[in-house]
Amino acid sequence: MFVRLSSLALSALLIGGCAVNHSPVLGSGNISYGDPKAVELVTNEFGSTDLQMIAESMTRSLAQSGVLKGRPVVQVYDVRNKTSEYIDTRDITTSIKTQLMRSGTARFASDNTDMQSQVDQLKLQNQSGLYKKSTVAKTGNMIAARYRLEGSISSIVKRSNDYKDVFYKFSLQLIDVESGLAEWMDEKEIRKTTER
Amino acid sequence: MGLKCIAVVALALLAGCTTPPPPEPGSAASKVLATGPIEDLAIGPMRMARENGFLTVSTQLSNADTRNKTLYYRYLWLGPEGFPVAEAESWKSLTLYAEQTSFLPAIAPVPQAVDFRLEINTP
Repeated sequence: MFVRLSSLALSALLIGGCAVNHSPVLGSGNISYGDPKAVELVTNEFGSTDLQMIAESMTRSLAQSGVLKGRPVVQVYDVRNKTSEYIDTRDITTSIKTQLMRSGTARFASDNTDMQSQVDQLKLQNQSGLYKKSTVAKTGNMIAARYRLEGSISSIVKRSNDYKDVFYKFSLQLIDVESGLAEWMDEKEIRKTTER
Repeated sequence: MGLKCIAVVALALLAGCTTPPPPEPGSAASKVLATGPIEDLAIGPMRMARENGFLTVSTQLSNADTRNKTLYYRYLWLGPEGFPVAEAESWKSLTLYAEQTSFLPAIAPVPQAVDFRLEINTP
């Protein structure tokens, strides 16, 4: 009996020992992580590569143009989507803002979506009586934007029996708020063709 | 005669085994990282300048083939120590028509970049 139990315990230990997983992966199947910078050609609708190319191209052109001297304050407006597709244009402007911040060439004022939160926070600090006076952010000290950044994306789609051709044009301009003059402007064109 | 033939073949094999010398530091070839064969693609002169504090680069690329060629490329931006100073760029697709010469312009994302590498991949 003892011998039988011992051999059972030993075989259980051996099996357990063999099953040790040395890989930091849970699960299996058809899931894998890919390169987020890879050229995405899954369909010819607006995709991650288009977003990345537009943001890179616009940011670098603007940063290197020399217009943004002395890290001016910029207010970013939504990019108008004039295509027939649903495109979250806020993703494009967020990428542009992030890359301009990283380059150290501009500072950003609260845009129309952040403004309500900013006002709410100022009101809460100044009107609720909850906070220590010396730590309360004073009203009337917000920095106004010197420039506003706005743009649009449009597309031309052509279809035939053999082809589907999509042409995107993204335009962006930097406007001096005081003078109303466009100080910088650039555009990025992308063509994607599918052969059926 | 047979011995001579064997000697010639052996010499040819030995010559084939020798690896080409590494590119001169600072030369155009030393800036190119090809992830795979880049047959029929000639990398020409590279222009590097600093404009408004940012490194700008333009590379001449020629397709020696009589057919159109699609390639993927991206620039990597390096600091003074030779390490990347910015996140890797997204890969870009480029079509070169038969026997066409084109230029790949680029602007560094941060002023800290002092050098670059051009990564090329052909499908």
